[in-house]
Amino acid sequence: MESARLKRSLTGIVLLALAALPLFEPHQFVLHMLSLVAISATAALGLQLLLGFSGQLSIGQAAFYGIGAYASGLLSAKLGMPFIVAFFAAGVIAAVVSLVMVPITRLTGAALAVATLGFSILVYLVLKNEEWLTGGSFGLMGIPRASLFGYVLAKPAYAYLLCVAVAAAVYLSLLRLQRSRFGRAINAIRQNEDAARACGVKVTLLKSQCFVIAAFVAGLAGSLYAHQVRYLAPTDFTFWKSVEILIMVVIGGMGSLFGAVLGAAVVVLVPEVLREVGDYRMLIFGAILMVVMLFGEGGIAGFLEQCLRPFSKPRA
Amino acid sequence: MPEALLEAAGLSRRFGGLAAVDAVDLRVERGAIHGLIGPNGAGKTTLLNLIAGALAVTRGTVSFRGADITRWDAARRAQAGIRRTFQNLKLFAEMSALENASIGLHAGTHAGIFAALARTPAQRAEEERIFARARRALEFVGLGGDAGVAAGKLPYGHRRLLEIARAFVAEPALILLDEPAAGLNQTEAANLSRLIGRIRDAGCTVVLVEHHMDVVMSVCDQVTVLNYGRKLAEGRPAEIQRDAQVIEAYLGRGDAPPSKHALA
Repeated sequence: MESARLKRSLTGIVLLALAALPLFEPHQFVLHMLSLVAISATAALGLQLLLGFSGQLSIGQAAFYGIGAYASGLLSAKLGMPFIVAFFAAGVIAAVVSLVMVPITRLTGAALAVATLGFSILVYLVLKNEEWLTGGSFGLMGIPRASLFGYVLAKPAYAYLLCVAVAAAVYLSLLRLQRSRFGRAINAIRQNEDAARACGVKVTLLKSQCFVIAAFVAGLAGSLYAHQVRYLAPTDFTFWKSVEILIMVVIGGMGSLFGAVLGAAVVVLVPEVLREVGDYRMLIFGAILMVVMLFGEGGIAGFLEQCLRPFSKPRA
Repeated sequence: MPEALLEAAGLSRRFGGLAAVDAVDLRVERGAIHGLIGPNGAGKTTLLNLIAGALAVTRGTVSFRGADITRWDAARRAQAGIRRTFQNLKLFAEMSALENASIGLHAGTHAGIFAALARTPAQRAEEERIFARARRALEFVGLGGDAGVAAGKLPYGHRRLLEIARAFVAEPALILLDEPAAGLNQTEAANLSRLIGRIRDAGCTVVLVEHHMDVVMSVCDQVTVLNYGRKLAEGRPAEIQRDAQVIEAYLGRGDAPPSKHALA
């Protein structure tokens, strides 16, 4: 089978399996955890575009995730807006706020990373201290469950399907972007900025667009999180959350959308599975990260690709 | 006098105290192959970067098709029809040769983020056009068989050709070649000379920075010689080869006129 078609079939099978999962009536905790995987995967997919495609290292994605979560939570809890409106508003608000990143897209590497980190710290402090708006350290309570067309998604299975559907839609959208003129241009920027410019690529504009898309997607993920957990605290959106999203992208495999999803599954599920070993779980988690990276810079997706290679003919 | 496609007037670029390019006037005629030669460090690549917009000028002006483009950035100049290759190969190493060439068409095409998401018929038709043209450009330079190969895995000589394909694919009005023959053997260099002639015949004006004198002398209509950032001489290849100042710049003071190879 041709490699691209093999991948497409695998994507279809995975999506079908995920959609069919509730039929087997798993424990609702399992569904909750998988919903969190889908939510994290959505945020990680956004960062994959920013970092894996366009080569911009952000360690501030939790800021946009948090902005989306609080925006959606506030709009629905305080203003009574329907979920679907709050959901898209969360993405748009995060995207608009990300425009403050435009001046820093001139930075690269460590300087860019530190600037995004600085932004993330600012947003955390706003969430924590603007009590009149966010509830401060007490958090934001009373966020309603997600609802669609007037039906509240009260069953964990429905909430789960919503999260999976959003993650899948983001996945397929970014796949289309990756294989387009825009996707090739940001990939070119990552590999050689000077050469991209010499081809007429407006580097600063495209880099900014990547920031905005990643923020929009993170905002959507934040909204899902707000309505899944229904209680927000500033501590959910610290620097550590940004690092988690970064870990998902890197161990999953830079440049691979499927990798970002796998990375999200690892980062969300492994510490949960390791809960039994108690205090040592983060120690073991850290060791796992090191081992995965030692396997190769392609991450988990790169490793799987090597395993699949004997079964697929290269593209002619 | 034939029409000038590109004109530089009093063009200067300083790096700290060093004048890398110093008050150079340059006039490139439409349809010409214009050589730019000089000893190492003479400022040839700096001059090329000033024309391409990769470096800001310190003083002087650049005009292209009669418009003052001195303040335009590199992307805008590329869009306007000034394309270049890089002396030290700047390919997109992980992309296939075909994709590398397709990036050269970025400026002339339009489909944006929303068109890509919606896969509109116009977007899909444009994608097909992009890849058909990119394929033709690869065939034009002789890389038709390498379309699917990652640029980083191509042999050295093919990478040089891919740089040219990426610059040529949009059929720009002006193409700046920065030492395209560097590291090529005699056969490859001879093929390159023919390729440069075909690029001109396709309607592109060429500015050629080159050390390989066989290539310069065989294809150029006009040659400008730089030394220490200043223009030393200008003329037809045969005149340049006899110019006493040029000979001195290359060989130091001496009596014997240099052969073509000694100039290289």
